[in-house]
Amino acid sequence: MLYGGLTSIGYPLLFGVVYWSTTHLMELQIDASVAGEIAEIQSAVPSGDIPQLGEVVAALIGRSPDFFYLLQNSKGQALAGNLPATEPVKGIRQWPGSTRHRRNPFSGIRGRGTDLREGAYLFVGLSTVQLHEMEELVVRAFLWGLVLAIVLSLAGGAALSLSFLRRIEAVSQTSRDIIRGDLQRRIPERGTGDEFDHLAASLNAMLDRIQALMEGLRQVSNDIAHDLRTPLTRLRQRLELAQRADPARLGGDTIIEQTLRDIDSILETFGALLRIAQIESGARKAGFAVVDLSGLLRDVVEIYQSSIDDKHQTIDIRIEPALGVMGDRELLTQLFANLLDNAVRHSPRYSAIELRAYRRSDRVAVIIGDNGPGIPAEFREKVLERFFRLEGSRSTPGSGLGLSLSEAIARLHETELELSDNGPGLSVDVSLRCE
Amino acid sequence: MRILLVEDDTETADYVRRGLDEAGHNVATSADGREGLFRAAGEDWDLLIVDRMLPGLDGIALVRTLRSSGIECPVLFLTTLGGIDDRVAGLNAGADDYLIKPFAFCELAARVTALGRRAHRVAPETKLKVADIEMDLLARTVKRGRQTIDLQPREFRLLEYLMRHAEQVVTRTMLLEQVWDLHFDPHTNVVESHISRLRGKIDCGLGSLIHTVRGAGYSLRATP
Repeated sequence: MLYGGLTSIGYPLLFGVVYWSTTHLMELQIDASVAGEIAEIQSAVPSGDIPQLGEVVAALIGRSPDFFYLLQNSKGQALAGNLPATEPVKGIRQWPGSTRHRRNPFSGIRGRGTDLREGAYLFVGLSTVQLHEMEELVVRAFLWGLVLAIVLSLAGGAALSLSFLRRIEAVSQTSRDIIRGDLQRRIPERGTGDEFDHLAASLNAMLDRIQALMEGLRQVSNDIAHDLRTPLTRLRQRLELAQRADPARLGGDTIIEQTLRDIDSILETFGALLRIAQIESGARKAGFAVVDLSGLLRDVVEIYQSSIDDKHQTIDIRIEPALGVMGDRELLTQLFANLLDNAVRHSPRYSAIELRAYRRSDRVAVIIGDNGPGIPAEFREKVLERFFRLEGSRSTPGSGLGLSLSEAIARLHETELELSDNGPGLSVDVSLRCE
Repeated sequence: MRILLVEDDTETADYVRRGLDEAGHNVATSADGREGLFRAAGEDWDLLIVDRMLPGLDGIALVRTLRSSGIECPVLFLTTLGGIDDRVAGLNAGADDYLIKPFAFCELAARVTALGRRAHRVAPETKLKVADIEMDLLARTVKRGRQTIDLQPREFRLLEYLMRHAEQVVTRTMLLEQVWDLHFDPHTNVVESHISRLRGKIDCGLGSLIHTVRGAGYSLRATP
């Protein structure tokens, strides 16, 4: 746009200069020729005798087709020449009438008039047809040139800004992906060494650092779990040995028994953490096979049926038959078991739970919903993080890893948990690839 | 049973040996993978307990080598917490069962007994019988005395497993794995409620043959 504007201003200036200098030059040439011709005529009759001049003029007519002559007396009568009588104007003049009409033989004449003896008047002129053609040529050339220049500069400007915008868009898109959680992405560098590449390189270096830090954070909890396995294993083994050493203690709710339960609880939390870490690193993906999702979901419901009955809750099951998906049977079972477990555990007595599974375009959708307290919108991302518990749930049993594990399993299956308001309650939507 | 334990961690080896000694088994130990392989192949054992992580030769390779040499002895794998691929890898290598350290004594004892039994079976049966309960595996029917008992598929599987391990203790975890194909603890009483329903169907007024073993699990016995 800018370039187009600049061109549009400079161009007419250039055009103006060329036009003026060209036409001016031609006019000068015409004037010179005319002056020369008049001089010749006057020198042919040094006395300035009018009739003799008339003969000279008459003889000149026809010699050069471009020349026009007029000799008239003081009474305004034409004496010789190929022009009609006219007003005796002295000096350089354009012949009256339209200068552009080619068919009019008298159009476009430029010449000079001089006063003679006895009030006579001599006019000699040249046709300016060529001059006008030249003018038109120059104008037309410049107009075409102008159009071309404007088009080119607009196109050039547009192309430049498009490539500019495209580079910026690439950066924006990558940033959006990163914000959404895909920390692996980097901004593409074109290797041209320009400012954009420098910017991209700096941003990528920054992203490397962020990713390393986040990996480090994740590693810490995994490392802790890893390192504490062995001491906890020893602890548990020794407690069991101590328990067995005194047969009377076996099975009762003694201190040893309670401690064993607590250790098992810690071990389960660590086990879940390590499991999440392994799943996130892509383990088990190779073991994918076709899974009977309908059967799997019914089995999951069976597992929690007694808990549902104990809390006098109801469950509405609508599972399409023969739903097949590609995945890991064991992990998918855990995923849906966690979701159903959450629905049961975090909904009060007498709540209603629903589980629906059906084909949705080219995928299979599984929806687990309840009409319990639900999860406020601002926490729906955070609950998927490790150890996050909502305020009201801190006292309920559980490690806060269930949803993290489910989300990790979902991601392994190239999907995500979609949490939403069930009006009231929570609805979790899992969409899997149909097989 | 004659059991060979291949485990390099002395505390775990000690723990396992004590528990199995108490149950009346004859336990030998080896702390190195290669030595363990040598002993496993060279001597006669009723059961092998092998740790995944071993110096010399890792557990998976050990079992694979044994199997490819034609040794059919049952194998129980031990592994540490967190390996989600471990179970599948172990079973694929030829192991028969799998325990995550740390495990309860009763869990070890129950699985050892269950694995030991397996070696003695020659041909697949079509019928199971414990006391006067008869199960036809082809027709999927159960009778007690003259009475036909109507069981849901899950209840049938549960009873089948109990019958295959009659007189043995089966733990809750074993039931979750074999009857429900679950490899995590859902912390619900799904097992208890199904046992209770099964009892209701097969007791038929006579004493219950399904015993609850405190602190360990359940057992189907010929006498109530």
